[in-house]
Amino acid sequence: MTQERDRERPSFTDLRKLHHQMPRWVLLVLLAGVAAFVAGHIVHLLITLLIAAVIAYILSSAVAAIERLGIKRSVAVTQLFVLAAAFVVSTHLLFSPYLQREVRRGYARLPEFSKQIEATLLSSAEDSLEKYPLLGQGIRKVVDALIGPDGFFETTLDGSRLLTQATPFVMGFILVPFFIFFLLRDWPRFLKVLMDQVPPSYVETTLSVVAEMNILIGKYLRGLAGECFSVGVLASLGLWLIGLNNPISLGILSGLANVIPYLGPVIACSVACLIALMQFNSFDAVLNVVLLYVCIKLVDDLFLQPLLIGKSVELHPMLLVITIIIGENLFGIIGMILGVPVVTAAQKTAGILLEHRREAANRGSTRGPAVRHRLPRVPVRPI
Amino acid sequence: MVRKYFAWALDTSKASHLRVLGEVPLFKGMGENLLRKLLVDLVEKEYEPGEVIFHEGDRGKAVYVVLDGLVKISKRSNAGDRTLAVLGPGTHFGELALINQCARFATAAAERQSLALIMYKSYFDDLIRGNSAISSKILLNLAEILSNYIYSNQPETAETQTSS
Repeated sequence: MTQERDRERPSFTDLRKLHHQMPRWVLLVLLAGVAAFVAGHIVHLLITLLIAAVIAYILSSAVAAIERLGIKRSVAVTQLFVLAAAFVVSTHLLFSPYLQREVRRGYARLPEFSKQIEATLLSSAEDSLEKYPLLGQGIRKVVDALIGPDGFFETTLDGSRLLTQATPFVMGFILVPFFIFFLLRDWPRFLKVLMDQVPPSYVETTLSVVAEMNILIGKYLRGLAGECFSVGVLASLGLWLIGLNNPISLGILSGLANVIPYLGPVIACSVACLIALMQFNSFDAVLNVVLLYVCIKLVDDLFLQPLLIGKSVELHPMLLVITIIIGENLFGIIGMILGVPVVTAAQKTAGILLEHRREAANRGSTRGPAVRHRLPRVPVRPI
Repeated sequence: MVRKYFAWALDTSKASHLRVLGEVPLFKGMGENLLRKLLVDLVEKEYEPGEVIFHEGDRGKAVYVVLDGLVKISKRSNAGDRTLAVLGPGTHFGELALINQCARFATAAAERQSLALIMYKSYFDDLIRGNSAISSKILLNLAEILSNYIYSNQPETAETQTSS
């Protein structure tokens, strides 16, 4: 009886057999699941690290340029930090009074705005409810989401909630520069440790991956920065021409939101529409804002993206949308922004590794020279 | 004057690397400033005795500079492996990878504990686009190395052609 029960229970050898029989992709899927589970629990730390890594990457070429002058890397990084601090302080002194005024004015008018929106939307809902019942219900839902209990305005104005939500940001402000400093200073050391761990037959492939990532991420980030800046300037100019309040703040928001593919412009346009509705109390102004954002999107798609980002990110549109959704689920907005370059990088790395594997397989089957060479005299034949 | 007061900020840890790089035929004629610029983006790797750096027939993607130790270059033949050269500090190998990513002509393996600097092809391509002072020197040296090789093999080639 006991022997029968023992036979039914899977032994360690059975598990090992199962491991050998299991296709490798099942193991990879399981590992990815475990990684996603762990990532979900340390999401704030990962986001902080990701932001630090991106900023460190952008600054790394400046550090290398200082290092090429013969200056120690640690001194170069410190110099850069001092320069960055000076830049932040001077920008703060120059622009912050204006920005603060805009933000404070907007924040003080939020309750008034909410009432205005409620009145405008409710009146339009009542009008349309009779003619188009579905549209009326839709508008009612929007009103609830904005003004109702636990709506956007109530949560935004709630001081205690603001404090709770601000904690990770405050931690981020302290941790991000800390991580950036050490990532920049010790990057060559990390690379050396990595290269020493890599088996010799994989050295050139690893270097190939590092170099390709360098080119791809560099091109993507530089292009994205240029694209966002251009979109921000265009949006500011357009909104100023329309006569909307706070055109600079809205332009900055539009530029920043543009880093999120597809969804970013929609978010920026929605905010601008809301402000237009509050300011002008008419749907004509909203239509103007929508037209402006459609024009900016066209300029972005037709001229800015091909010119600045080019074909550095070649993801299938379906894969791109899936990436954005998964990124948002795992890491929020940061996941949406960084998901695309990370998946592109993973795609490229997989391509390089597959090529390496194919080469290794070919080497195994056709080892030995195809053509017999004469032994060269001095100097040694270049290899 | 400036060097005297800012000596604490100058990187002296790579002085030996710079000295060895200065002896490498591929980097001949390059001053300390150019060598320092080159050195920043090169990758260092240690090899244990007997470790194969690359195999004959592999696609070449990088050029190697021996900083320390010894590297044996050997070629497979019907009679077994034949040693073509044993390279010490201040020499380079795998330079054809800079021109095209053709198959390696021979196998390179560390004869004893060795330290090598690796320059990846796409880094060299970046240099061609961004730093013509360095890339033109390297290309000229590479052309000289190749022409020396062709010149030294000229009589043999002529003999082969006559006999055939």
